[in-house]
Amino acid sequence: MRRRGISKLKLVAIYIFLILFTAATLYPVVRVFSISLRPGNRLLSTSLRIIPDGATFEAYRRLFTETDFLRWMLNSLIVSLAVTLTGVIFASAAGYIFSKYRFIGKKVGLTALLTTQMFPATMLLLPMYIMISKLGLINSYLGLIVVYLATVLPFCIWQMKGYYDTIPDSLHEAAIIDGCSHFQAFYKVILPLAAPALVITALFSFMGSWSEYIVAAVILQDQSMFTLPLGLKMFQANMSTDWGLYAAGSVIVSIPVVVLFIILSKWLVSGLTLGSVKG
Amino acid sequence: MRRYIIFIFVGVFLFSCGKRQKEKTITIWHQMQIEGRETLERACKEYSAAHPDLKIVTLYKETEELRSAFQTASLAGGGPQIIYGPSDQVGPFSRMRLILPLEELFSTDSLEKFDRMSLTYFEGHLYQIGDRIGNHLALVYNKALIPEPPKDTDELIKLGKQLTKDIDGDGRIDRYALVWNYTEPYFFIPFLGGFGGWVMDENAHPTLDTKATIDALRFVVALRDSVAIIPKECDYDMADALFKEGRAAMIINGPWSWGGYMKSGLDIGIACIPKISKTGLWPTPMVSPKGYSINRNTKSDILPDVVNLIYYLTSPSVELEFTRTLGTIPSRLEAQRDSIVISNPIISASREQLARGRPMPVVPELRAIWDAMRPAYQAVLGGAMTPEEAAKMMQKDAEKKIKEMNE
Amino acid sequence: MKPNQKDVEATRFKYLFLLPALILIFAVVIYPFIYNIVISLSNMSMSHFHDWQIVGFRQYAKVFSEPIFYSVLGKTVVWTIVNVFFHVVIGVFLAVLLNRYLPGKGIFRTLLIIPWAMPQYITALTWRGMFNYEYGAINLILSRLLHLPMVQWLKNPTDAFAACILTNIWLGFPFMMVIAYGGLQSIPKELYEVADVDGASGWQKFWKITVPHLRPVMIPAIVLGVIWTFNNLNVIWLVSNGGEPSDKTHILVSYVYKAAFNLYRYGYAAALSMVIFFILLLFGINFIRKTRATEGAY
Repeated sequence: MRRRGISKLKLVAIYIFLILFTAATLYPVVRVFSISLRPGNRLLSTSLRIIPDGATFEAYRRLFTETDFLRWMLNSLIVSLAVTLTGVIFASAAGYIFSKYRFIGKKVGLTALLTTQMFPATMLLLPMYIMISKLGLINSYLGLIVVYLATVLPFCIWQMKGYYDTIPDSLHEAAIIDGCSHFQAFYKVILPLAAPALVITALFSFMGSWSEYIVAAVILQDQSMFTLPLGLKMFQANMSTDWGLYAAGSVIVSIPVVVLFIILSKWLVSGLTLGSVKG
Repeated sequence: MRRYIIFIFVGVFLFSCGKRQKEKTITIWHQMQIEGRETLERACKEYSAAHPDLKIVTLYKETEELRSAFQTASLAGGGPQIIYGPSDQVGPFSRMRLILPLEELFSTDSLEKFDRMSLTYFEGHLYQIGDRIGNHLALVYNKALIPEPPKDTDELIKLGKQLTKDIDGDGRIDRYALVWNYTEPYFFIPFLGGFGGWVMDENAHPTLDTKATIDALRFVVALRDSVAIIPKECDYDMADALFKEGRAAMIINGPWSWGGYMKSGLDIGIACIPKISKTGLWPTPMVSPKGYSINRNTKSDILPDVVNLIYYLTSPSVELEFTRTLGTIPSRLEAQRDSIVISNPIISASREQLARGRPMPVVPELRAIWDAMRPAYQAVLGGAMTPEEAAKMMQKDAEKKIKEMNE
Repeated sequence: MKPNQKDVEATRFKYLFLLPALILIFAVVIYPFIYNIVISLSNMSMSHFHDWQIVGFRQYAKVFSEPIFYSVLGKTVVWTIVNVFFHVVIGVFLAVLLNRYLPGKGIFRTLLIIPWAMPQYITALTWRGMFNYEYGAINLILSRLLHLPMVQWLKNPTDAFAACILTNIWLGFPFMMVIAYGGLQSIPKELYEVADVDGASGWQKFWKITVPHLRPVMIPAIVLGVIWTFNNLNVIWLVSNGGEPSDKTHILVSYVYKAAFNLYRYGYAAALSMVIFFILLLFGINFIRKTRATEGAY
């Protein structure tokens, strides 16, 4: 068949493109990896070799044995998972109302959500600190989680709303007419269809707290409570950063994100299609 | 029986609570690098072992962040009791009324035991007590490539032309004679002084539009373009990489970096930055102590403990501990006479350079001067401006920024 | 009465679902925001750090009277448009590519999010290293592989700015890719099948089916992408090393940052932040109105 021939050729072209593009994309990442293997603590090298002369896993050994890296990782996991879980619940709920219900102040509310993202974050730090310290939330994960939620939710709500918008209204309306409560219509009918959006919300919430530095630096003042970005920052100093440790830490930090993404991918490609539901 | 046990438990519980309430905490924010941090933590642990009611918390923050975080915390009425850093933070902190004058808290006798350089005064008050002096740029050379460092710039240029080489013949230079972070004005200061100039006068008024500035700018550009013994583009990390890889025979860098060079297996020597042949003057790196200041928000009941802790942290034994790990020059006169200070060739060379340096001004105006110098300086390097224009612009911008800052 | 009961239930359901999130968000944001408005009207600076006073709109006047504000604003607009444009185009393109039948596509999908996963600080500095004139990977590729002249990226303001943009495009496209990929899942496959029967070309299918369906999901991402990019301090700061060369690569936020923390001009920096806020607010309201993004199914 003619069509198949073309698509085979096309497939090869797509693979070649993807391989080249991915290689180019990963190049800087590979450089970071090679910094982590480099002896003598250098950020840059004049050589383009990926495996440097005298490559060593010393930085990784030091990271796990001489620093509190595992502790930071655990702290970060606690904070990020808490934010992810609550973020998904709050955003899927609020986004649903914004998409499917009519109420006074809806447009203003949605726009107001955006406005919370418009202010340069660095200028919010000073008042944020004053507020947090007056509330006695310095050095508490609760304070950190609440602030993170407030920063990730606006996007997540919008994102959920946008996805719900693509789901026909007839679905939940029919469910309610059939005797479902509003909650049941949401939970049983719409939510499963919104799986890809939930994945994005989860991933975004996780990332928002996993790699966040400036707010954490304001709230957490005790080394044993540090999250990963704060911990990594400890290797960084004006003109004398410990690049080996920093790079090794960065490589390790990105692994949970990738793992999370792989786990979530299953739902990102939702098995359910609208067609099958409608039909 | 059971009841007694409960009583005992409750008693112990209450007692431990009571004890915890009595426990005093002193927090130190500092910007020491990893090796220094460990030494500091060890010293603090020893001290709190001897003072069971005292808990000492140390927290590292990167220099700039330390400053902004301290300002923020202080404005909110909190912050650490002790803040440690380079002396140039004293000016802004005291202007913002964030730190306490120390002359009344520390006895005159005890202060006399310090190298005068390490006591930082601002507008008539003592605000910082240093535990180390120096922290200045010097010439570091790789002994495998250059056995004897050049004494003056004529020698530097002559040697430099031999050292700068395209070794494998591919048309690209593989080894430079000299590298340093020449995009940053801080590294330009030695040359400015070497041509007889300085950043400001005694009244903190900028003195940048001078012949010295113009000559020094010309000199740096010439090293790169006509003499061609330094790379076309070189920031801190690139200079660092070139020197560590043996692709540069000499580097201008400070004591924070020397340990790293030795660790990467280089046989290095420290020398003074070569004398400027044209003027006969020695380059003048900025010299600054690092030390401890006390937060104004410190509660008066804990203040005596804070003072005692600073006494301890600047005692000869603790300072020498830092010297042992980092090769720093202690601030206590007694410690300066110790054999580990005198017998160390790196420290001796560093002190020689120190004697030729000039103290870094602690006035806040210096920050405005850095900010004004940077763009014009980089424009000269980029060929967008002549040295004359740059000197004029530096001066004008510095004056404007100082005015804006002091509004 | 029954219908009334249903209404009550609907109302209760609405508020129960909506309010927790909204209260939380605004509780966190409101105090810092008001504080900033107050500071922007004050003379807070190094010499008036504790004892600042309200001085009215002086700081705002200062912001608008400085010519540098306009040139930096211009750069910020270019920065934002170019970045978001490429984020979206590359992101959607890859998402569409990876959404088709392609064995092993999961591997590409996973590898391509790594720029998002890795801490920005080190990747941005790695990019800075790649732009070095003599030893950076980019010039080596240009000169050795493509036989093009080498570029002194970090010396010339325009090239340094381009270097920052390139880095940020790299950092930002995976996010858009993931969003678009999620959005593509909501498109019923039947639509494409019908189009195939009608003999539509791939290009037609993309514009007639894919784009309209992606819209609701991409619009929030684009609006926020613009806002975040406009306020993205990190990349500019790291790649250009704080605005180098010669403070010519600043965007508004990096300029604010410098004013606030380098020269302790808190009042001025707060006023400039308010200006940034209003610029983005104007953009946001207009964009939403044009795209009718707030209008949902009803």
